Amino acid sequence: MTTTASAPVAHPGSARAMAWRRRRAAAGQFWSDFRRYPAGMTGLVVLAVIIILALLAPVLAPSRMLDVTQLLDSPRYAPPSLAHPFGTDDQGRELWVRMLWGSRVSLVVGFAATAMSMIIGTIIGIAAGHFTGWVGGLLMRIVDFFLVLPSLILAIVLSSVLSRGVMTIVIAIGLTSWAGTARVVRSQTLSVESRDYVERARVLGAGHWHIIVKHLLPAVMPLVLANTTLTVGSAIIAESTLSFLGLGDPSKQSWGTILKNSMDLSAATSGYWWYVLIPGLAILLVVLAFTLVGRVVETIVNPTLRNR
Amino acid sequence: MPDLVFDDVSISYHTSGRNSRGEVAAVKHVSLELPSGGTLGVAGESGSGKSTLAMSVLRLLPRNATLTGSVRIGDTDVSELSFGRLRAVRWAEASIVFQGAMHSLNPVHTVGRQILEALELHITDRWRTEKARKERVKELMEVVDLPPEKADAYPHELSGGQKQRIMIAMALACEPDIIVADEPTTALDVIVQKQILDMISSLVRDRGISLMMISHDLSVLATACSRIAVMKDGELVETGEAHQICLDPRQPYTRQLASAFPVIGDPASRMNPISRRERPPRPPVEQRHAMTDEVLLEAHGLNVTYHSGRRSVHAVRDVDFTVHSGEILALVGQSGSGKSTLARTVLGLQAADAGSTIQFRGKDLPHKGRQLRAFRGQVQMVLQDPSAALNPKLSVYESVAEGLRVQHFDGNEEDRVAASLQEAELIPPAEYIGAIPQELSGGQRQRVVIAGALAIHPEVLVADEPVASLDASVRGEILALLLSLRERLGLSALVITHDLGLAWNIADTVAVMYQGRIVEHGPTEEVLLNPQHEYTRTLLAAAPSIRDKAVA
Repeated sequence: MTTTASAPVAHPGSARAMAWRRRRAAAGQFWSDFRRYPAGMTGLVVLAVIIILALLAPVLAPSRMLDVTQLLDSPRYAPPSLAHPFGTDDQGRELWVRMLWGSRVSLVVGFAATAMSMIIGTIIGIAAGHFTGWVGGLLMRIVDFFLVLPSLILAIVLSSVLSRGVMTIVIAIGLTSWAGTARVVRSQTLSVESRDYVERARVLGAGHWHIIVKHLLPAVMPLVLANTTLTVGSAIIAESTLSFLGLGDPSKQSWGTILKNSMDLSAATSGYWWYVLIPGLAILLVVLAFTLVGRVVETIVNPTLRNR
Repeated sequence: MPDLVFDDVSISYHTSGRNSRGEVAAVKHVSLELPSGGTLGVAGESGSGKSTLAMSVLRLLPRNATLTGSVRIGDTDVSELSFGRLRAVRWAEASIVFQGAMHSLNPVHTVGRQILEALELHITDRWRTEKARKERVKELMEVVDLPPEKADAYPHELSGGQKQRIMIAMALACEPDIIVADEPTTALDVIVQKQILDMISSLVRDRGISLMMISHDLSVLATACSRIAVMKDGELVETGEAHQICLDPRQPYTRQLASAFPVIGDPASRMNPISRRERPPRPPVEQRHAMTDEVLLEAHGLNVTYHSGRRSVHAVRDVDFTVHSGEILALVGQSGSGKSTLARTVLGLQAADAGSTIQFRGKDLPHKGRQLRAFRGQVQMVLQDPSAALNPKLSVYESVAEGLRVQHFDGNEEDRVAASLQEAELIPPAEYIGAIPQELSGGQRQRVVIAGALAIHPEVLVADEPVASLDASVRGEILALLLSLRERLGLSALVITHDLGLAWNIADTVAVMYQGRIVEHGPTEEVLLNPQHEYTRTLLAAAPSIRDKAVA
């Protein structure tokens, strides 16, 4: 409060310098902890490989490979073989090319929608748990409203109001899936709020911000992370649902669209197993990798789990 | 009636996981005997294996425990019983009053229903019909001095003492020959503790039940048991008649345990809590801080009312008190007397009613914003349970530095944290800085909480039952620390407690609180040695003392 211009240079022991040093050390410590878990590293490597492949899609498979007019000679429904690693689809397109391009949209939608839903859910949940009285009550009524709203209908309405595209789908999924997170976060917040250490922080002179950032957020983070890993999967699937309803961008490939196409052709019963299996496995792989990373992050963030 | 015999019993736990300690021996070669109709107390600190021993009576040990030797009830070896036979023995022949009545009752059933459960599982001729069982529940309620209609209450509707009585009624339900009581009075205040102990003693006397009672408090055991066994690190240190153990202990460890709880009126323990630790050198006499006339914190006509729905509870009524610079004031009362509410109000955590004045250094207690934060820099709190008062995810350093950060401390944080840890006698500080709370013992955790309060250099420390959840030996250490902080730093303290011995140990002045009012207030010697108010006398009489036995 009384820090005047007379001492502008933060000396090495000052709170700010300390805070930065501490954060850098904490990040370093986190990484060296993380590296000790093979499961987490496996997940991280898988995610990294998928992301790099998605980024390299235009280089590995130029977009003309998806142009049906140029694929008239290509066999249809070719099973996986050396010439067609993942097989081909009903229009002779290589499945691996579609998967590669589809991963871009699927991952972007999966991550962005999850991030949106987690951020909204966490903020509203913590606020509803921390601020008691009418603020919390009002927030909870808003959460209830979003909980009972049929999410598909809301998504359809949103997509028809907003312009079509990936962004719209992200917003539609993000806005409809945060309410569940908010409820869970609120109940965890309420339980942490009643602990003595929050009271101790209050006695030490802490305000709302300090209590939320220092005590509540770290306590709900493991829960949010666990929730995130599951939401990525359901967001990828929700994206395919919306694409199927014609609310997405039909000119773009996505894993959901591929699954959808395969379903239209009853690929599974017609013996085109690769058509169903490959996009399905891809979604599984991403969700699994996310779960592995999430579990390890949770273990590190919450030292009380160390002994388990 | 059968005897309970422990014959060369050893119990070890097999631990696994990342921090595995391999085989941990909890009980080592213990041989004890409880003749039928006798009473046996087992004393020891946490980790001494006394609860493990108690659980072995009914084979309630977890799966990773291995028992060698034998536990016999009469002629039957408990470890050899088939599961069916064991079920019959459990409760019908021997039963347990579990530690922590607060958590051992099922919150969704009425307590009567829970007593009935034991009867339904062990049907005998006496309660073959539903009606007879209901009768039996009523009868049991009378035995434990509760009105029969309380059987229809849910656990949350009962007080701690009432819940403990229900636990005892449950243990008595099937007329067992042996009762094992594991810390039956630990969470209760002195007056309720005395009632429960009296009740247990009379039950033992009238019904010829054998009692094995476990406690960390020798004076409690001395009141209820004729023989006492002292355990340390799983081994039996000493066994003997209760009065011999209490008054003429042969082993140094027993002596330590016996002296951990002071005798009120004993000049040796006045301002001198027993601590096992080497104390830091005291400052020379002329530099020691003591109580002065300077008023730091004062309250006049303080009233606090809780409103819930249409009901309101008047928790604190017309309280006046002052804390002088360098004074240690003990606020004594039983649970529900409003003493914790008073502490919270003084700290500004609970709003006082209109018309109350609380002043710090002559200025009214601020209610919000910057002034409140500045006030918090002057008056700090130490909570009862250090395990709950520290964020389990933050290291000791973070916890101690927390106050400095919220107070926007500008100096060298690392130095200040290290200095605070040093003041709280966590030496060397470097060893503790990286630890998280679960890696520390209870006493060390309480020191961290105290260090966190000290870091912002407060003038007054409000301590709410600072030692109630700690072991006997640690209790002395923490009290010695509070006393030495006053001497070295001139720190004033308002200590809230139900323990008169604590007041005798460290307080300059005592205020006795009863039903929201302060009924007696004055220098410790005056109040405790020459009590004027009826209630103070009741409190003093209820405090269990190891001397009782000698008189009896």
